[in-house]
Amino acid sequence: MQRFVKAGITALGFAVLATGAMAADWTPPGPIKLLIGFHAGGGADTQARLIAEELEQRLGWEFVPEQVTGKGGLNLANALKDAPADGTTIGMAVTETLGYNMAASRTNMTPADFTGITTTAGFQMGIVSLSSKGWKSFDEVIAAAKDGAELRFGVMTPKLADLAYLLSKAQGVEFNIVSVKGGKAVMDGVNAGDLDLGFMAGIQAKGVAAGDLVNLASALSEPLEQTPEAPTLKDLGVDYNADGYFVFIGPAGMPEDARNAMASVIGDIVNDPETKAGGLIKKTFGGATTISGEELTKMLASDYDLAGGLLEAASK
Amino acid sequence: MGTLDYIWMGILAVFQGPELFSVLGLPVSVTLVMILAGFLTGIAVGATPGLAGPIAMAIALPILISIFGYTPDALLPVMGFLIGVMKGATIGGAVPAILFNTPGTPDAYMTTLDGYPMTQRGKAGKALRVAHFASASGDTFSDIVLIVCAPFLALLVEAYLDLPEKTALLVLSLSFIAAVIGGSPGKGLISIGLGLLAVYIGTGEDFYPRLSLGTQELSRGFPISTAVLGVLIIGAVLKELQDLWRQKRTIGDVPDYRENGDQRLYWADIRRLMPFVGRSALIGTAIGALPGIGSTLAATLGYTVGRRRYAKVKRPDAPEWGEGASEGIVATEAANSSVSGANLIPVLSLGIPGNAAAVFLILAAESIGGFNPGPSVFRFTEDAVNPELVVAFGLFTAMMIANLMNWTIGGLFMRSMGVMIRIPKHILLPSVLLLTLTAIYVQETRMEAIWFAMGFGVLGYLMRMLGISPLPFVIAFILGGKLEESARQAFAATGGDPWFLFTSPVAALFMAASVAVIVLTQRKPAQTHPRERT
Repeated sequence: MQRFVKAGITALGFAVLATGAMAADWTPPGPIKLLIGFHAGGGADTQARLIAEELEQRLGWEFVPEQVTGKGGLNLANALKDAPADGTTIGMAVTETLGYNMAASRTNMTPADFTGITTTAGFQMGIVSLSSKGWKSFDEVIAAAKDGAELRFGVMTPKLADLAYLLSKAQGVEFNIVSVKGGKAVMDGVNAGDLDLGFMAGIQAKGVAAGDLVNLASALSEPLEQTPEAPTLKDLGVDYNADGYFVFIGPAGMPEDARNAMASVIGDIVNDPETKAGGLIKKTFGGATTISGEELTKMLASDYDLAGGLLEAASK
Repeated sequence: MGTLDYIWMGILAVFQGPELFSVLGLPVSVTLVMILAGFLTGIAVGATPGLAGPIAMAIALPILISIFGYTPDALLPVMGFLIGVMKGATIGGAVPAILFNTPGTPDAYMTTLDGYPMTQRGKAGKALRVAHFASASGDTFSDIVLIVCAPFLALLVEAYLDLPEKTALLVLSLSFIAAVIGGSPGKGLISIGLGLLAVYIGTGEDFYPRLSLGTQELSRGFPISTAVLGVLIIGAVLKELQDLWRQKRTIGDVPDYRENGDQRLYWADIRRLMPFVGRSALIGTAIGALPGIGSTLAATLGYTVGRRRYAKVKRPDAPEWGEGASEGIVATEAANSSVSGANLIPVLSLGIPGNAAAVFLILAAESIGGFNPGPSVFRFTEDAVNPELVVAFGLFTAMMIANLMNWTIGGLFMRSMGVMIRIPKHILLPSVLLLTLTAIYVQETRMEAIWFAMGFGVLGYLMRMLGISPLPFVIAFILGGKLEESARQAFAATGGDPWFLFTSPVAALFMAASVAVIVLTQRKPAQTHPRERT
């Protein structure tokens, strides 16, 4: 038995080496600067750093991580835009940065200024409250609001604020929409009682499993994996959604081989729950979602175009 | 997860952290080593005139972060080192004060008054022992108060203060700091205002970077380390360099007084000194718990109160107050040392820093991430572990370990630090400047950071020249983001009520107090020194 296990491990090792060797057709011309659009120490920052660490171990590439936070990822985009497009500077952000945020900002950037490398995981964006509030479904929240309760709705991005506003309009109630910094701040606010409900993109998984938090609705186009019975935004009368992914991007005009090589090795890592990065993604988002190549380019472009509609709808 | 579980986990986090090496099979955690290293560095730095704890903390922080990285595992080693420096510097400051009549840190000035005469009488060793005893007692007392009070204060804040009240509390702290630091509320307000202006550049909720004048460089705002290190450290170095150039001060021959007689500290001495230690420790702790009032004021108050008592209990053969009375040293050192622990009460329970050392602890927490000093730290969650609370108890453990080191090896190490006065300032100051700029570049790997830091350095220098304390600037820079955030949130949460700061009684009370504290401090000096009012 032990021999088989050993053989298995060896085979696995070779398999890993093999994928490594395949990807290593392209090697970076120098150390890679990894711009991270999230605050140091948060979940997204950890994910980026763990992926870089694994790449260093597997392929011997050298990474220099740098925090470029603020303005919903636009600071990162700005810093990345004019960097050399040879694969020595890449960044990790969310698709919302290239979609809604670019469309809404007064900067002249579009997704065409960037090369999408690969997504790593999709948000499990739910509308969440403390279970001690007593709400079992989103309808009960609406009923409470109609009874005159002043409800504080926590959001972490302007796009989500628009969605919360459209949701309140669709349901004929009013929320006090409070914008805070990052999903963890929404969770802290909900836990501390400063907020009544709010958007959380995956960090609620543990609390929901423990029964402290409850997913009242899915803010995605699909139901949540953890709470499939919760209604989606579409069910609640909102035509837009908070579908989004963590995404690695580079400046426009990255060579095809560099783009593909990076997408393939990052994909291998995040899809493997045995790696630290893959394990984290599995725990928080239920698994990796890797969209790359032409499909990713199309998705980023269409997100940007759709954002105009949401902005228009929310400004009415 | 009960309270005791959390305390135990905090202790374990320090002792069972990443292992550096093992002695006789017992693993020694890297946190322990860092506390010791910080403590010894702190004593050396405190004993060097021209250096102080904050300088060492400022230079060490970016270097430590680059070694330990941005993971939550880095929190305890890095902050342990800073706590060590903070504690070491407090006792180190007494060394040159006693031996050479030069205070190593500003708060040790009063120590020279009785310490140096003792040295002249050949009692240097005893004076150092007395200072160490008072300092270590005051420090330990203050830490115990911190550990007992901080969690309760945090729980109170979390339970009773809503978003508008939290905003009003931040306004009150800024106004209190403006009023008490530096003696002039007007200058304090200027300092606070400049700090807020600087932190609001390039930040904010809008996608468009505000106040950046359309430049790429300003659109990301000023990195916090450039503002803090620039104003506090580079500004101080520039000012010191100017003093040096003006006075052409040279380190002349250091007079050498030989020790004679018995230098030991006896139980009888301790019993005689204890009342002085107790009073001063109480004064220092009370002052330390209010943000912004520094250890220098505590030392002055402790010394004054001590003098009154000494007049009553003095034995006829004992030296006069100010001419070598051990009680004078004790009254000063116990007071200035007991500030440091209590100073962390507002830091840990409210996230409001009160002095330079606290500024660097917050800077460390913000740079590393995973620990946000403030009321949310003390959330005693039952089912899942609150990692921030574990870190908080880890920090308390680190402070107690540093105290233990202080009691055991601190005195010995301190007495060997007399040599530090021989380091010439014209070499020391440029080295500090170089190290500071390097440290900034290590953390912010872009050239603008250096220009920003130099700019803030010039600002800090000008503020010092005009008698404006730079500390309110730094505290405002740190609290500015939080103030804007909580104000926006409170405004939104109250459904867009423009009077959100005045509608709830508690918030209104805080706002009234913010105005009152400025008005009252402005009036008081005018009554006592009418001539100064011009």
